[in-house]
Amino acid sequence: MRNLLFIIVLLLSHVSTAQTLTVYSAGPNDLIQQLARDFEKITGTKVQVFQGTTGQIMARLEAERSNPVADVVISASWDSALALKRAGDLLEYSPKGADQVPDALKDTHYIAQGIAALALVWNKNSNTPRPGDWADLTQPEYRRQVLMPDPAQSGAAFEWLGGMLTSKGEQATWALLTELRRNGMVVSGPNARALNPVLQGAKAAAIGAVDYIAYGQQARGEAIEIIFPASGTVIAPRPMMILNYSRQPEQAKAFLDYLLSVEGQTAVANQYLIPARRDVPDRRPGLQELTLISFDSEAMEARRGDILSQFRKVTR
Amino acid sequence: MNTLSTTHNTSRFRWHTLTAQVPMGIALASLLVLVGLPLLFVLLQVIFPELTRGSLANAFSPLLHNLADPELLALTGNSVRLGIAVVIVSALIAVPLGVLRALTRLPGAAWWDVLLLVPFMIPPYIAALAWVMTLQTNGFSQQLLGVAGDGLVFSFSGIVLVMAFNIFPVIYFAVSRTLSAVGGRYAAVAQVCGATPWTAFWRITLPLSLPGLAAGLLLAFALSIEEFGTPATLGPAIGFEVLVTGIHRRFSDWPLDMPGAAVLSLVLVLLALLAFWLQHWLLNRRSYVSLTGKPAPFEKADLGPWRWPVLALFALMVFLAVGVPLLAVLATASTDTLSGGLQWSNLSTRHFTALFANQDGALAALATSLSLATGTALLTGILGALIAYLVVRSSIKGKSWLDFLSLLPNTLPAIVIAVGLILAWNQPFWPVNVYNTSLMLLLAYSCLLLPYPVRYTGASLRQLGDNLEAAARVCGAGFTQSFIRIVLPLIAPSLLVAMLMVFAIASRELVASLMVTPAGAQTVSTFVFGQFEQGSPGVGMAMSLVAILTTTVLLVGLTGVGRRRLPGVG
Repeated sequence: MRNLLFIIVLLLSHVSTAQTLTVYSAGPNDLIQQLARDFEKITGTKVQVFQGTTGQIMARLEAERSNPVADVVISASWDSALALKRAGDLLEYSPKGADQVPDALKDTHYIAQGIAALALVWNKNSNTPRPGDWADLTQPEYRRQVLMPDPAQSGAAFEWLGGMLTSKGEQATWALLTELRRNGMVVSGPNARALNPVLQGAKAAAIGAVDYIAYGQQARGEAIEIIFPASGTVIAPRPMMILNYSRQPEQAKAFLDYLLSVEGQTAVANQYLIPARRDVPDRRPGLQELTLISFDSEAMEARRGDILSQFRKVTR
Repeated sequence: MNTLSTTHNTSRFRWHTLTAQVPMGIALASLLVLVGLPLLFVLLQVIFPELTRGSLANAFSPLLHNLADPELLALTGNSVRLGIAVVIVSALIAVPLGVLRALTRLPGAAWWDVLLLVPFMIPPYIAALAWVMTLQTNGFSQQLLGVAGDGLVFSFSGIVLVMAFNIFPVIYFAVSRTLSAVGGRYAAVAQVCGATPWTAFWRITLPLSLPGLAAGLLLAFALSIEEFGTPATLGPAIGFEVLVTGIHRRFSDWPLDMPGAAVLSLVLVLLALLAFWLQHWLLNRRSYVSLTGKPAPFEKADLGPWRWPVLALFALMVFLAVGVPLLAVLATASTDTLSGGLQWSNLSTRHFTALFANQDGALAALATSLSLATGTALLTGILGALIAYLVVRSSIKGKSWLDFLSLLPNTLPAIVIAVGLILAWNQPFWPVNVYNTSLMLLLAYSCLLLPYPVRYTGASLRQLGDNLEAAARVCGAGFTQSFIRIVLPLIAPSLLVAMLMVFAIASRELVASLMVTPAGAQTVSTFVFGQFEQGSPGVGMAMSLVAILTTTVLLVGLTGVGRRRLPGVG
């Protein structure tokens, strides 16, 4: 019994104080941990991080609504920021350095921290020819060698689908997916875990994989290549924002300023993400080198249910 | 010897309402806080979709719309199919093992018990991932033996097998502990009366062990319809979705569909209720008292030359349930790159180095998980034993509600409990701040795992004769005193095994942890999950291995302190 009391006392000593900033982040964990440490060194404000997927973060925000805890949110999906803004949950703020960020990547209430692009990831040891475009994977050499993350579970994969539907047209996109399915493509779970079979060589290629994770693995010696088809791909910018019920908006603003500073953006670039600021160099192909498909992600989001059920029909 | 008479009354002796009132109050209050509160808030959320926004508008509107969800039937069918298949396969594995363990002189018996506790410590999604990496094309099995089982691991049978390997120990421990308790006394009597050992076993020993077996099967069923990790890892590739993964999708895919998730949760609860009711109906038709508390020397059968095939069977099952997953985890954690495969040149301690450099607080996460698991085991152990005792022995009205409430968490997906806990504890009116502290994790784990001690001790109480308690009462002992001095020592074997299971499962729980871990803290499971999410499977697997080994060593240490082997071994 005394042990139990001791444990409870130990647990209660974890309580956050008013001088801490709470950040919910769907970005790379070591990135946000490092930025939090550095920010505390500079300003003395302690930053507590909750790390999760975009879905987990949104679920938590929803459940906490009656007594909010979070001050800052960094999500991996542009639409989630838009939805929060529409719900009236965001504080209007444009951090210092926003003038260096392209217009498409900022709003009055949120701004990109970094950008991921969706790539074709190919295993070099797989005894298959190097694919150049999405459609190449319908060739017999890639029979049962392709996978793609599930757009229902991966926001990025859904963006890829929206981009394809816009650039190729509806019919051509569904025809391509039908073709891929006929060639034995497998739809697996969410993003990062979808890459594991490609790394181990169970599959030769992944479609619509988030590129920065693959670059990180390549840098650690994995035999993979990250290919951006000339026919175009889509980007998934990662918005950061301040919640308007934050009890310490000033510290939250200072934190966003720091995230968008050259220092903060260099840390983003070191994770192989494309930094939001133009004046911070990329460590991988940047926005200029990629053929980008621009599409109306809002319109796609509005049709989400139909698109996903069509996708399920085609890939079953 | 009227123990085998089919009476409705399981026990002629009952504590009066008066003496049991205080403990009853404690048990009920704890249950209401642990289980009732989060459930109440989930229900409120279902009825009032705008509740989190502080409004009671649009009551019931999403509920009706979601009951017409076309996926509902398909998901429910899949869950039931999966649950039944897993229970059958698990029972086929576990019952023979449990019987052999209890009634024969198995060499190294205590060690087999320890080994069969390990599956509880392996997170299901890690086990599933380990099987994938072993069996998929170019997986470890193909690299080592030239055989791949791609078609097996990604199939309904694959999901059932992987889950059964993870769940069968629940039945094994229930069966072996109950049989040890039933012992061979009645069987010996039967043999004196001319029955063959075989007949004695089928007609006497096995029927008397039904409470334990039924409790084990029920737990296994509830566990398999509630498990998220394996179907989530193996299901998407074959388009197989169950209620839990459906709930999860609605809860964590943007945009959220909380009402939809809640409706699916209600269906899950109903399923589990059905199983609970079935168990209740089976067990309450007769009395199973076979333990009088008097010492009964019980000679276990000698295996003789059968020793080797029996040992081979145990070794095979341990290899499948523990060996393969751990070896795959070890292989992933100790190779430099996945694409490099199992080559000596690809061997590396890089991932372990990263871990012990305390990258992102790995060791802190381990400490958090272990202390929480200890706290959960103590809390649920004390509370569970008390609840089971009240349910079996007191004549208080509404005690079946206690029983039901304590089983309920076993049927609720962890994510639902987590959301309920957030809704409940993150209210401005609480005097102390519980939300956003690690106490939330303790509440979540205790709620989720309370059924184990309740089921296990309940089963052994049903076999415990009440003469001793009656005697204690005649000698002037009260409810509490006789509970502590007489009942607890007698049910200790089952209770301890249940507490060890709670410890093991709490040390690796993922789904609820992801939701309620306070900002700034991490558990082992959230740490590992984060590593996978960010494409460092090596570090994730290294952490899993360290955690599994640490908890195993701790368990062996814990059980070795008091006695030199696991409890409950006659």
